[in-house]
Amino acid sequence: MEKFSEILFQPFKDFWQWFVKFAPNLLAMLIIIIAGLVFAWLIRLVILRTFRGINFDSWSDRVGLTALIRKGDVWAKPSDFFGYAVYLFLAVIFVMIGLDALQIKVIDNLLSQFLIYLPRALSALLILIIGYIIAGFLSRGVLIAAVNRGYQYAKLLAEAVRLLLIILVLAMALEQLQIAPGIVIAAFSILFGGVVLALSIAFGVGSIDAAKKVIEKGSEGKKEEKGRDIEHI
Amino acid sequence: MAINPEKIDILVGVASYNNAKTIGHVVRAVDAGLAKYFPDKKAVIVNSDGGSADGTPDVVRNATFDHAAIFLSHPVYPAHRISIPYNGIPGKGSAFRAIFEKAVEFQADACCVVDADLRSITPEWMELLLSPVIKKGFDFVAPLYNRHKYDGTITNSIVYPMTRALYGHSIRQPIGGDFGFSGTMAEFYLKQNVWETHVARFGIDIWMTTEAIANNFKVCQTFLGAKIHDPKDPGADLADMLLQVIVSLFNLTEKHFEIWKNIRGLRDIPTFGFRYHVGLEPVRVNVERMLDIFRTGVKDLKPILIEILGPGDFGEIDALIGHPDKDFRFPIGLWVRVIYDYALTYHRKKMSSEHLLKSLVPLYLGKTASFIMEVVDIDHEGAEAEIEKLCREFEERKDYLINNWI
Repeated sequence: MEKFSEILFQPFKDFWQWFVKFAPNLLAMLIIIIAGLVFAWLIRLVILRTFRGINFDSWSDRVGLTALIRKGDVWAKPSDFFGYAVYLFLAVIFVMIGLDALQIKVIDNLLSQFLIYLPRALSALLILIIGYIIAGFLSRGVLIAAVNRGYQYAKLLAEAVRLLLIILVLAMALEQLQIAPGIVIAAFSILFGGVVLALSIAFGVGSIDAAKKVIEKGSEGKKEEKGRDIEHI
Repeated sequence: MAINPEKIDILVGVASYNNAKTIGHVVRAVDAGLAKYFPDKKAVIVNSDGGSADGTPDVVRNATFDHAAIFLSHPVYPAHRISIPYNGIPGKGSAFRAIFEKAVEFQADACCVVDADLRSITPEWMELLLSPVIKKGFDFVAPLYNRHKYDGTITNSIVYPMTRALYGHSIRQPIGGDFGFSGTMAEFYLKQNVWETHVARFGIDIWMTTEAIANNFKVCQTFLGAKIHDPKDPGADLADMLLQVIVSLFNLTEKHFEIWKNIRGLRDIPTFGFRYHVGLEPVRVNVERMLDIFRTGVKDLKPILIEILGPGDFGEIDALIGHPDKDFRFPIGLWVRVIYDYALTYHRKKMSSEHLLKSLVPLYLGKTASFIMEVVDIDHEGAEAEIEKLCREFEERKDYLINNWI
């Protein structure tokens, strides 16, 4: 009977011993996660104040960052959005560090893989954001310049510039993430080259009439009416 | 020729860049004017050159003028000439900065600046630009010219009406380019920290005029006759010119908000010189091309224009696209709202200033085409009456700008 009770209670004893041994790790995890969340919340506040101080929202409007996050169906102010993103990022980091305190081998492996990949993921995200902003800015600049020069296909030209830049940015981001790098480079070369060739042919064929007009105008120039051009200033 | 930095009475600045063809005439006219009207004043002619490759500084040094051929006696102090290269951003403003530095260094009492590409300058311009400073104590003398009714469209449709509405001074050529000013004014200009902005380029003229008005310097204008100069560099892009002038205008509008928001009405500006009419060169205009760019611009820049003007005013502009060329008219009330909306968008920094102001070009060309067709059959006075109507519209709608200025 004694033996039976021993068999019956031994798992509870083992569990208790394991729990007594494990409890400090659990406590450490909870403390790390709670302290981490508080720290992340404080960092979010600092970021919000700093962004408001430097008029980050106006700058975002100007460079097209607001438009970018609106496309992702995010309707918060850019400063709030980035403050919250940093908060979430730090929260995930602290949860991972907290889990590491449990000293469970599977979680340890997961965490080390996550930490190794994190810089690549972050730089890819940065490349995407900055690339999108630059592509939008340059495309708008090309559109305005082309319109002011009287090009009929200004919008097409601006969209082509945007498309090429977006392809370039996506390839750079994928390359950074090390997702099938060989295929990415080959696909990029084919796609980029193909788009450039297609655009060259399209502009070449589409511009025959325009070129004809320019040449005709050039030869007519000598017969132009007398007088000078208008002075705008 | 180098001269000692001793006190002089008059400094005449000529900003140049590859003007060898015309600067000789300008320097001779200035020299003759100084000898004729200010023979007992110590004067210096400063050529501020932007690195000309055609020998412009040599032409300045060697331009000879025989005083005896025109005057009975030689001037007491023949004008010295110095040619200096300027530093900083290449442009007219940086050239003027070097001239202001020399004016302060030489403690000049009166100064003036004239363009190096002028063909119509006469010795009388020296008297007209400098006498109000020397004899009447004015600090800033703006020019008045006879110009072709089609010329100066940035001045006529934006800069003059807006400056007049904001500051209540009717300076007809605020970006004329040839100005007279006192030594005090030169010192004031030199102290301002604007030399890394568009003021260093085409923005200098509106900046000089507006700072003089806004800071309560004594201002007048003087009639110089016709302004005829070498054709501008065809490579000079209209969009860049518009950008540089309008950015300076809008920067000044931001800077002086507390001053202009309280100004109402129009103050008389003393005007000197004898007004007369002269024959002017014919001007070629291509209204059809202007309207093509206007229509393409309104279609292709729709999202940008809606962001600046709002859907209401954009709708009105969009409706103009369908009008046939001969009936095309840009309503002046709409134009004023467009300019004030651009000023407000610039102030709120909602988009890159370069994109913002370059997107104005198609609308500006539409307005210019409309003005040309309105005045094609009327004389100079009739054209001026149209500009006067536009000025009143700017004045009447000033409250819109004030009330939306947050």
